[in-house]
Amino acid sequence: MLSTLKGMLMTLQTSLRKPVTAQYPKQHLPLMERQVGFPALTWDAKVGEPYCVGCMVCVRMCPTQCMSGTMIDNPLHAEGKSTRRKIIEEFEINLGRCILCGLCVEVCNFDAIEMSHEHEISHYARDGRRSDLPVLLEMGKKYQAESNWIAPEVKKAAIAAAKAAATAPVGEETKAVSASAGDVTETKDAPANDTTAGAETKEPPVEEAK
Amino acid sequence: MILLIPLGVVLAALLAIVGLAIGYGGEDVVYILIKSLSLLTILSVVVLSLTWVERKALARIQQRMGPMRVGPYGLLQPIADGLKLLIKEDIMPAWVDRPVYWLAPLAVFIPSFAVWIAVPFTSSLVLTDMSLGLLYVLALSGMSLIGLLMAGWGSANKYGIIGGLRSAAQLISYEIPLLVIAITIAMLAGTLNLTEIAMGQGNTWYILLQPLALVIFLLAGLAEVGRSPFDIFQAESELVGGPFIEYSGAHWSIFFLAEYINTFLVAALVTIFFLGGWSGPLLPELAWFLIKCYSVILVIFWLRGTLPRLRIDQLMAFGWQGLVPLSFLNFLMVAFALFYGWPNWVQTVLSLTTLVAASTFIYMKTASKKVRPTVRLIPAREVRRA
Amino acid sequence: MTEAQRLESVDIMVNMGPQHPSTHGVFRMVLWVDGERIVEAEPHIGYLHRGSEKLCEGELYPQIITLFDRMDYIGNYNMELAICSTVEKVMGITVPERAEYIRVILCELNRISSHMLFYGTMGLDAGAMTPIMYGFRERERIQNLFEATSGARMMHNYFRIGGLREDPPDDFAERVAGILPALEKGIEEGDKLLTYNEVFLARARNVGIINGQDALDYGLTGPSLRASGIPDDIRVIEPYSVYDRFDFDIPLGNTGDTWDRYAMRVEEMRQSIRIIKQALEQMPDDGPTKATGVRSIPRPPAGEVYFRSETPRGEMGVYIVTDGGDKPYRLKVRAPSFANLQALRTMLRGVYVADAVMILGSLDIVLGEVDR
Repeated sequence: MLSTLKGMLMTLQTSLRKPVTAQYPKQHLPLMERQVGFPALTWDAKVGEPYCVGCMVCVRMCPTQCMSGTMIDNPLHAEGKSTRRKIIEEFEINLGRCILCGLCVEVCNFDAIEMSHEHEISHYARDGRRSDLPVLLEMGKKYQAESNWIAPEVKKAAIAAAKAAATAPVGEETKAVSASAGDVTETKDAPANDTTAGAETKEPPVEEAK
Repeated sequence: MILLIPLGVVLAALLAIVGLAIGYGGEDVVYILIKSLSLLTILSVVVLSLTWVERKALARIQQRMGPMRVGPYGLLQPIADGLKLLIKEDIMPAWVDRPVYWLAPLAVFIPSFAVWIAVPFTSSLVLTDMSLGLLYVLALSGMSLIGLLMAGWGSANKYGIIGGLRSAAQLISYEIPLLVIAITIAMLAGTLNLTEIAMGQGNTWYILLQPLALVIFLLAGLAEVGRSPFDIFQAESELVGGPFIEYSGAHWSIFFLAEYINTFLVAALVTIFFLGGWSGPLLPELAWFLIKCYSVILVIFWLRGTLPRLRIDQLMAFGWQGLVPLSFLNFLMVAFALFYGWPNWVQTVLSLTTLVAASTFIYMKTASKKVRPTVRLIPAREVRRA
Repeated sequence: MTEAQRLESVDIMVNMGPQHPSTHGVFRMVLWVDGERIVEAEPHIGYLHRGSEKLCEGELYPQIITLFDRMDYIGNYNMELAICSTVEKVMGITVPERAEYIRVILCELNRISSHMLFYGTMGLDAGAMTPIMYGFRERERIQNLFEATSGARMMHNYFRIGGLREDPPDDFAERVAGILPALEKGIEEGDKLLTYNEVFLARARNVGIINGQDALDYGLTGPSLRASGIPDDIRVIEPYSVYDRFDFDIPLGNTGDTWDRYAMRVEEMRQSIRIIKQALEQMPDDGPTKATGVRSIPRPPAGEVYFRSETPRGEMGVYIVTDGGDKPYRLKVRAPSFANLQALRTMLRGVYVADAVMILGSLDIVLGEVDR
């Protein structure tokens, strides 16, 4: 019976340890930085419209076909306030069907859709948790705020600045740095140049990396 | 509505009996009634507390918390469980054998409760101080066997029938070591009166004289109740409940209660036989009795949390080839010791040696380093070369 | 009249139906029982069939990876590795070193977590209710690491054709090294509790014996085959990824009974920890984690490839026929659990009903890949 006694001793030792239970929902375990929640659409606060232009790449990529959307001519572009010629009008994700794979985020060229950290959105509904554009934008704004989300134009400016600093000769480094700083502010004021050329600017960095 | 008629008839009959008893018997009958009702209440409270203790103890063994929501630290969980069981729908399949199905819970429950009128809690707190208390307790505790068979058969379910037959075999087999050890204790104490057995131990508790008997009695008692590691007939992972499979709601709660009452009975008997009953310094007798009972119960839960369950043929083998010879051997040792008047330490030595020898024998046969199976390890590069 | 003719008895049919606490998923076993002994057993599968192979024909390659995650839903990374390696073989892509090492580390961690779940469910089948809690406590550490790396605890969708979806977090190596001592301790505790316990030995020894030649004939693979004494481990015989650079042992059993199958997996956990330690040492500190020149939606050239890998359940084979488009023409999965189930019938003849549950548990099947 020695093995049984050893086993019993071990269970006795374990019973004296602190339990590992976290009493949900009073206690939430910390979420990792990369934890995937449901997808959400991001909001361009500078211009006051979603980043999403309605290109439908994510809709085509979704394995469960849980998304649908409509693209319209951007009224803000007609007024001259935005450089996006097209904008999303209606967007719906059936969050009940979403498998949280993140493929939509991978293929989006505009950083318009992100996997938020939302995962506690159960409620009584008969519509299968189909979320439309305002709901998704709300989730997106919350995600942008809490995760220090960097806008794509800022990221591109930082990459361009780093490249300029790396390729410029040593003596002219300070000029290049100030020039790139100026570039950054320029691009901040006029995100138009980058967003309209959104599709094109994707290509050169990829070729560069090759 | 239609149920009210037979219910009314039963109530009227009960009242008539009580009235007649009081009328002819006088005050004694009232006292007996009050004592019985209070015993029922105490036992129900004990059983409820046992469910809470079990869940908490198992949870701590598994390094988790157990019930915490219902009431502070989950103390109201048993009440919630009881309420849930009572208001749950009693689903009864259409093809059950109705009289058998309905009577089976009673056949299990009534002996389990009726046993307690002879079990003493303290030197003065016993419902009926029977001079043949031990005989009565053991005789009645064996009667719940028929209830399990009825439950299995009446369910008209193959799992139920298999479970019922398994339980019948198991319970019959483990009655023998239980009875032989009880006889041994009766020999040591010289009486069948449970109060006197407890008090006759004085300062040398029988655990010191007969550790082997304690182990055998505990294991046989566990098998009688149907607790791990002997719970094959209600194995959740195989036969999903055994004879209890078709019972739900209030019916099932009766079986549930009966199981916990029996567990408490086994613990109480171990306390009375081996641990000196209610003797102990400082605290009142009842407190000591309960402390000892609950310690034994914690050991029972500890065993449940640690060990896997034995298969039915292994269980029978363990019973017939292990516990029965050992219990008879123990009986002979005690008989010799009492007849020749050997001092107490001889008994202890004999008992301990037999216990250690038996355990070592089992270990050598199954799990010792020489016989245990091994795993060969072949380095990957050898397989790659080949 | 013979004794048997006078005592005419009928075998009872016991249905361990699709809803059962012990059949590891929706699996139906019809047992013909004579007293307590099983005379004949008939497994029924198909309750979890989702048409994965047909779905794959209509999905782009990154979407197929999500499907494979869900086939063997306990060893997800191993399934992703299988499909990614298959397509990489068709396209002739070399995966960068760092990505290979990270893949191996994640796959081995997944093997440990799968075997821990096995250890727990084996205990439950035997009747012990504590090993599963201990196993899941250790699995939490691994799953937290997975969440930090890929974002999800289970359906990771992290491997891509050509490497990984993104770089792992900067502290990946430290995190992995940090949980290894706790995992080792957890395995030791599990050993003390279950492996050499007398009751467990009585339940598992000499139960469901299958010898080596029968096992090979039935197509049994993985730890169940190695329990019968055949040293067949795809990581060693046909190394894929970077498995030929590691030095580890292959556990082998002696009798091919349930205990051997159980002990194989416990020992494999220890060997996986060895592999992870070596991988952490050998892993390059930086480097690309994605092969260059691979589009996000790859278009493999036309061809046929069969690739096999060693998942925690056994030999997992993926056969793909590509036609140059962005969706496969045909994708067939050789699921190890499906083949392992073939041997169930032989193993179940003549054993007790209680043993049926133990034997099924020891085969460690996952219905998701049996039925796909």
